[in-house]
Amino acid sequence: MNHVKSLRSALIALVGLCVPSLVIAAELPDKQAELQVKPKSEDTVYLNPREMSAIPQGAFGDKVRQGYQLFVNTQQLRGKYVGNELNCSNCHMDAGRKPNASPLWAAYMAYPAYRKKNDKVNSFQDRIQGCFTYSMNGQAPANGSEELVALSAYSYWLAMSGLMDQYQVAGEVPELSDAELLKGGKREDFALPAAVKAAMNIDELAKLPGRGFPPIDKPELAYSPERGATVYQAHCQACHGDDGQGLAIAGVYSLPPLWGPQSFNWGAGMHRVNTAANFIYENMPFGKSIQLTNQQAWDVAAYINSKDRPQDPRFKGDVEALQKQYHNHQGYYGQSVNGGAVLGSQSYPVNPDKK
Amino acid sequence: MRSITLGSALLLLSMPLLAEPMAMPPSAQLCGTCHGPTGQGVEPLGPRLAGLSTEYITQQIKLFQTGQRQNVSMTPMSMVLQGDAIKPVADYFASQEVPEVTVHLRGEAAVYSDPTQELVYQGDWDRMIPACVTCHGPSGVGGGQFPRLAGQQASYIKTQLLAWQAGTRKGDVDAMMGSIANKLTADEIDALAKYFAEIK
Repeated sequence: MNHVKSLRSALIALVGLCVPSLVIAAELPDKQAELQVKPKSEDTVYLNPREMSAIPQGAFGDKVRQGYQLFVNTQQLRGKYVGNELNCSNCHMDAGRKPNASPLWAAYMAYPAYRKKNDKVNSFQDRIQGCFTYSMNGQAPANGSEELVALSAYSYWLAMSGLMDQYQVAGEVPELSDAELLKGGKREDFALPAAVKAAMNIDELAKLPGRGFPPIDKPELAYSPERGATVYQAHCQACHGDDGQGLAIAGVYSLPPLWGPQSFNWGAGMHRVNTAANFIYENMPFGKSIQLTNQQAWDVAAYINSKDRPQDPRFKGDVEALQKQYHNHQGYYGQSVNGGAVLGSQSYPVNPDKK
Repeated sequence: MRSITLGSALLLLSMPLLAEPMAMPPSAQLCGTCHGPTGQGVEPLGPRLAGLSTEYITQQIKLFQTGQRQNVSMTPMSMVLQGDAIKPVADYFASQEVPEVTVHLRGEAAVYSDPTQELVYQGDWDRMIPACVTCHGPSGVGGGQFPRLAGQQASYIKTQLLAWQAGTRKGDVDAMMGSIANKLTADEIDALAKYFAEIK
């Protein structure tokens, strides 16, 4: 508790200092543009980060551990940076370690990355800020904040420990300064062990197998929320509820809400039907007891994403304008589904706990 | 149950589900002989029912009736309760008090030296085993269709995991629990049963 309190007061001080640099909603860039991901193949070897017990003692190791703790219990930032009931680990399976579930280690090595959409180079820190703004429907922690350092440190440690083991590099993961950690691993001046550097170039490292969610083939029939409803009832509602609002036990929604006010907002990558279909096909039902068909994954992704959710934070009062600017993809923003209200016209508030 | 807010969920944890204990319906008396009059369980006759939800108890009675759960005592016993008679009995046992536990949240620790705790709070994804607490809730206190494991008899938890493996317990959507149980070793089953039983 004391730790949480001191963290909180440190954060308040930090945020206070950084207010002028906080991103304002009106200028939000698209930080959740799709990554190009290769389809899965059977014989792929994935990076395998070290066990948690291998995280070193000391200040650097503490940042790595704190990153993990924020990742699996992101709700400790509720009301500050998080505006819904989600935790990072809801979509990034095995606390960001599992390949093909957008693992942190692969994402870390893919940034900094140039994005056409905002015509700027996005650092790893920028990318995590995007997660808070969109997936967590909250307020991104400021540049250089303790949380962004911790989440970057955890991601870096997973990536580097996996790479070192893959290329038989002994010893502890080299420590990096906070400023270095926040940048990400896709840069010429990123310190890599010689054996890793000899084996893979910067572009290969940025496209580690298992990155993102592997794309599945287009469905045979155009995806349909109506068919998706049937899939949902049969395979999803047991955990996520017949109303899609998840299940809280002891106040924790480890079975997360999929739509509605407590889920990700209309700017999050997961609202795209293709992204959700890829995620679902690879990672659901939880623990992978059965395999949905390609068609089922598309249909149920369409069903989930045809429901209303919190507004796109880039919304300036005109659904159609926003739809044209940011929603030229497979999604339902700005559309009416089955004669319902245009999605976006009555969406739930962005960052409702904002103080 | 699903629309429960954070506040009320916490409140539920800290107090019995109903302020006034329900009077035992006559139809629950037979259950009480093996499960205890307030459903606290009588080892090895019957597991604890207190702390389970109405939804879960109701569903299990139906699974016994349809043969998806098989047990020499419960298969015939479940037949005694049909139709509308199930709910008052399920409500009665669901309303019984269980000892408060201080829940351990994911992320409170980053490293677990005990492999059983690691399985409970982090899972073993190399074998596609998710953390038990993802569905059974923090410290396995259970909710909705997911049974409370905290404080349940170790012998019962073990028997059930073995029943999932043997296929004498079914009825989970998409065989989610069955497929997890199938990946557990005999030693892990013993250790998990003991771990949850000791959360009191």
